[in-house]
Amino acid sequence: MLSFEPYEDPAYFGILLLGLLPIMIMMLYGHRSRIYENIISLFFLFLTFGGPSWHEGAALIVYMVYETCLTYFYLHYRKNNNKSWVFYLTVFLAALPLATVKISQQTTSNIPSLIGFMGISYLTFRVVQTIMETRDGVLKKINWVTFLEFVLFFPTISSGPIDRYRRFEKDYRSIPKRDDYLEMLSKGIHYIFLGFLYKFILAYFFGTYLLPQVEAAAMHARGGFLDISWPLIGVMYTYSMDLFFDFAGYSLFAVGTSYVMGIKTPMNFNRPWQSHNFKEFWNRWHMSLSFWFRDYIYMRLLYTFMKNKTFKSMTTAANVTYVLNMMIMGFWHGVTWYYVTYGLFHGFGLVINDTWLKYKKKHRESIPSNWFTKGFSILLTANLVCFSFLIFSGFLNTLWFK
Amino acid sequence: MSKKLFRIFGPIILAAIIVFLLLISPSHFGFGNVTAEIQKRASVSLAPRVLKNKRIKEVALKNNYVPFFGSSEWERIDPMHPSVLAEKYHRSYRPFLLGWRGTQSLTQFFVMQNITKEMKNKKVVISISPQWFVPTGARKDAFGFYTSQLQTTDWLMHENNSAMDRYAARRLLTMPSVTSDEVIEDAVRNVSKGKKLTSFQQLYVKTRQRILTQEDYFFCSLYIPSTNEKLVNKSLKQLPKSYNKAELDKLAVKLGKQNTTNNRFRIENSFYNNGMRKEIGRLKGFQSKESFLKSPEYSDFELLLNQLAKDHTNAIFVLPPINSRWQAYTDLKQARINEFDAKIKHQLKSQGFNNILDLSQDGGIPYFMADTIHYGWRGWLAFDRGVNPFLSKPQKTPHYKINPSYYSRTWQQATLQQLKNFN
Repeated sequence: MLSFEPYEDPAYFGILLLGLLPIMIMMLYGHRSRIYENIISLFFLFLTFGGPSWHEGAALIVYMVYETCLTYFYLHYRKNNNKSWVFYLTVFLAALPLATVKISQQTTSNIPSLIGFMGISYLTFRVVQTIMETRDGVLKKINWVTFLEFVLFFPTISSGPIDRYRRFEKDYRSIPKRDDYLEMLSKGIHYIFLGFLYKFILAYFFGTYLLPQVEAAAMHARGGFLDISWPLIGVMYTYSMDLFFDFAGYSLFAVGTSYVMGIKTPMNFNRPWQSHNFKEFWNRWHMSLSFWFRDYIYMRLLYTFMKNKTFKSMTTAANVTYVLNMMIMGFWHGVTWYYVTYGLFHGFGLVINDTWLKYKKKHRESIPSNWFTKGFSILLTANLVCFSFLIFSGFLNTLWFK
Repeated sequence: MSKKLFRIFGPIILAAIIVFLLLISPSHFGFGNVTAEIQKRASVSLAPRVLKNKRIKEVALKNNYVPFFGSSEWERIDPMHPSVLAEKYHRSYRPFLLGWRGTQSLTQFFVMQNITKEMKNKKVVISISPQWFVPTGARKDAFGFYTSQLQTTDWLMHENNSAMDRYAARRLLTMPSVTSDEVIEDAVRNVSKGKKLTSFQQLYVKTRQRILTQEDYFFCSLYIPSTNEKLVNKSLKQLPKSYNKAELDKLAVKLGKQNTTNNRFRIENSFYNNGMRKEIGRLKGFQSKESFLKSPEYSDFELLLNQLAKDHTNAIFVLPPINSRWQAYTDLKQARINEFDAKIKHQLKSQGFNNILDLSQDGGIPYFMADTIHYGWRGWLAFDRGVNPFLSKPQKTPHYKINPSYYSRTWQQATLQQLKNFN
């Protein structure tokens, strides 16, 4: 029985190429066959969620029926009503399966294996976002087939990037001109090959070859203050490089495949290591996720705080929201001390960052800005980020408590 | 349009053609040249990639290297380690150490598949661990970690539907690693059922073998860790110029004393500190129910014997001791060890494998063991005194007679009283 995790196996790419070939030819001749695209999508979903993973496939089907009903109900309700509590309840119910899986992952219960499946987070992001935009009144009509195609879009099913329904629908309904499509095709292929370099060469080197060695060395060097050692510093940088190249590589595959299918799925990474500060970092790292959190958690929380005048000053409100926002992101990664600490680290980091930027603005004349300060800020940001990834890696948990 | 398309896909198609041609080409393009330096480094590195690799072993065994099959014992490198002694005293052979933590008979059988040609009519050393022979048998994760697809394809290309091949196929099918290639999995299933490979499977396995061999040649000399080589070189300097039994024994006692000062088990200090110290309370009496009498490992071990017989390879088998202070502390009964010795010796002798070096009773000799179950200073010397003559002097041609009933579950579960049923 053929079965693949997306983008993990050379054979997967071979099958992908074969499956996409008819789409390429049709696109070049100005056709878009929804039927063929859906058959291919189903086929690839079956490769991932069928065979030995059939229980995940079953969970996925139940989940989709549930979420579609919920979205449909809310769209219908929103036509004539707009009670806040109904909206909150709907969002809560939409996020409930994901929350249940995330919380029960830390226990011995078998709930995750029962209702969880690969990519549940990203599907939930897409659904919740659709519900929120319905409340805003931006989304008045939803085509149910397109909704399913959007949520289950196979190139991005397992780990994003997280697209937006309206953007996706626009691409999906149109056929690019031949020259535009050739441009997209060329970009898509380029992304996929850059992904090979990232994921199968660099991430392999850092993650599979180097990381176990430095981790073993760090475990061996335990005993000092907080078990800190040189190899631990090695773990910090090696893990950070592995995390970046692995995820950026995967994202390039997903975006590249989307481009070949004529869908401009948003990019996930934009040279994050050259950020001057945390704020900029989150505009360059896992962008589709941080923009999702910005638009659907940060902005909304801040708006609510301001409307209810929860905090006297605007600055306090913004700061509290930063910390809450990043803490929720931490919890989303998983209910463990290291994910939550990672979230808080970035939350407080953003607060300090914001305070400094405001201070700098006020004292613009007295604070120098030159190549040195810029270089220094890039270096500082990159190192702090790597440190936060060391927390995120969970290796400290192994180092201290295992 | 076609111009643009060619610009997009031309390089990919070209690259694919070049890579494919490189991989199936009969020429190795100058790769696979294994220098003496690499052979030496690989022979003591114990790295999983050396176990999986074919080319280095092929070259090394054609020179004067002899395979030493075993598991974690090879890791305890001190001046009396066989690799150090062989180099220092200019023996006619050099050990090629094969095995690491978790390698068992089944892994070693597949490691042999890459070097059957080089083993023909030659000698090998096999160090057996009683700890392999637990009721659960070979560890599945370890098997996948230490074996390679090239070993499977090599084996499939020369299997001839013997009892050995069918049993090996059945065992391989229980390992998760086999599922990585559907066609090969089906081919193995055919062998397990006593069927021939289909012509498609033949062609596929042959092509895969070719590609994997080529990859093996390309990458064989890369990333071989030199940690152990450095340890060997350091140890060489500690040995006296010429071999002298009494003098070496004195040195062994001295080194043993120096290195076992922080515990009452005469376990090497660093080993004891590294994880054992914290657990020591919990380990008291933990082996009171341990037994090595019933295990699927006995049939996996038969695979090794069968392969040796097939290649007319002369082997010496070493039965290791257990640190007797440790044994008493953890309440491992001597009767359980003796049972194991009797059963494994029966399996060996009844089939004509008579070169057995039994050190299993020597665990009480001070500084014989470096830790709980691994040879150290004086243990290595005893090991050498038994193995060196076997390798250095000409030996009588052995006459093996393989008995396929050792592949049965009855044998795996046999008690001492039932040994006489197997002859």
